[in-house]
Amino acid sequence: MTLLSLNQISKSFGGIHALQDVSFDLNKGDIVGLVGDNGAGKSTLIKILAGAHDPSSGQVILEGQAQTLSPPANAQGLGIETVYQDLSMIGAFTAAENFFLGRELALGRGPALFRLIRRKTMLDTAVSGLEELHIDIPGVRSKPVERMSGGQRQLVAIARGAFWGSKMLLLDEPTAALGVRESKEVLNLITRLSARGLTIVMVTHNLEHLWSVCNRVVVMRRGRKAADMPSASTNMEDVVAYITGAKEGLQGRALELTS
Amino acid sequence: MHVLGTYGTILVLILMVVVFSAIQPDTFATVGNFRNILNDMAIGTIVAAGLTVPLVCGDFDLSIGYVASFSGILMVGLLSANQLPIPVAMLIVVGIGMLIGIVNGVIVSKIGVNAFIATLGTGTVVVGLNYAYSGGIPLQLTHSTDFTGLAIGRFLGIPHLAIIMVVVLGVLWVILNRTVQGQHIRAIGVSAESSRRAGVAVDRSRIVAFAIASTCAAIGGVLMASNLGSGQVTAGDGFMLTSFSAAFLGSAALREGQFHIVGTLIGVLTVAVGNNGLAMIGAPIFTQYLFAGCLLVLAVALGGIGRRYGRG
Repeated sequence: MTLLSLNQISKSFGGIHALQDVSFDLNKGDIVGLVGDNGAGKSTLIKILAGAHDPSSGQVILEGQAQTLSPPANAQGLGIETVYQDLSMIGAFTAAENFFLGRELALGRGPALFRLIRRKTMLDTAVSGLEELHIDIPGVRSKPVERMSGGQRQLVAIARGAFWGSKMLLLDEPTAALGVRESKEVLNLITRLSARGLTIVMVTHNLEHLWSVCNRVVVMRRGRKAADMPSASTNMEDVVAYITGAKEGLQGRALELTS
Repeated sequence: MHVLGTYGTILVLILMVVVFSAIQPDTFATVGNFRNILNDMAIGTIVAAGLTVPLVCGDFDLSIGYVASFSGILMVGLLSANQLPIPVAMLIVVGIGMLIGIVNGVIVSKIGVNAFIATLGTGTVVVGLNYAYSGGIPLQLTHSTDFTGLAIGRFLGIPHLAIIMVVVLGVLWVILNRTVQGQHIRAIGVSAESSRRAGVAVDRSRIVAFAIASTCAAIGGVLMASNLGSGQVTAGDGFMLTSFSAAFLGSAALREGQFHIVGTLIGVLTVAVGNNGLAMIGAPIFTQYLFAGCLLVLAVALGGIGRRYGRG
């Protein structure tokens, strides 16, 4: 079942074409690995899905309806959450506080100044949310996340995304700067989330990690989609070849023939 | 070093109380003197606690002292020249204070001017307004002379000023620690970008923080006018430096370099007890400045040490 389709999405910044005519469909429960060299357009694409950028042209169709994803609050409202590589959590806050940052459970209505935080409920909800995903981190209730390991922080950040994102989760380099064991835990979590029906798009430079969880690979090159393959029907050499341009996608070849 | 960094200021405070009590048991260690200390520090604490809110958010506000001065002058003017009822005059003055804070916040967050420069500018404009209104001459309280009872009176033996101080501190503590707004202000202080991405209304929160600081400065100015029984053109200017000192001193206490309301109270209290004690033992006035200055530098330096080696 198709969850989201991108139809000929282009994005330019001034004269620079960051994305040109990118189209693909995301199926429910897909784990898509988005790869490409620096400047290939991966992060622009992710930001369009996250609602951080508005496409210059093209259409985003979510569950059969054309949607505008920007600003990010819009994407979030539609069930799309993003976990950025850094800058996604407040170090001095506990995991529970981070879980609810910007969406605090509170008593009363009106301006934020007059709404009292329901600390206990937030804490319990965050803890049960993590338990449900079988994430076992000591000190979720009291420990500031800056005192957690990088892996624990990433687990919390992804769990927060999964908690709020009912449809899609965008992960920007979820295993960057993590050790072997920690990466494994994060990848396990990603697999579990997809099994619950969440669609996941992850940007990564680590092809091994990509292979261990993704069922599809999308390769970006120079702002275009160079390849879009089920990961079962391709291999690492192929993907690297598409990334470096040694091998060219149909789209690229077709364009070169016409120009 | 960790203990010294986070509990150093409180240790100094306790040490001073013990030493001054031992030296001057009849004058320092009395209920009356304690009441005096509370009374003397109340207005400064209110202004400093207000300043703490934008500091938590990561913004400086240099205009608070000038807002306090202007508010005092304006209060006396509205009572004497315009003969407004006390509550109406108070509402106007505190409202104008809040408005100045909102202007500060808008300039800093929406227009993106550095808070240091923006509030230096608005503060100077407020000085201008002050002189335009007063002509640079102190205003006498000619009507509603019972206005002085607001600051000078006592309730059940407790000075009004001390009661008002506790109420303001309580309200600010609840705002910062128990409301959604406070949660957002504290988050922005750590990382504005992370907060924005999490969906926090960053600009609005910063504006609210400035508004709170300026409102407290205006309340301080009103109380100062009541305490003095007149409007003095520059009476509140000094609150800017003392408030920053107190807030920074307090940031070194208990929470390793974070600004917080209780810390600011400890900061003001430590300086107030020190000054009072030094005066009681007959130390010349210059020692009070040496004490406050050295304490600030030492406490913040030790707080930094606590921060660096504190994470076990």
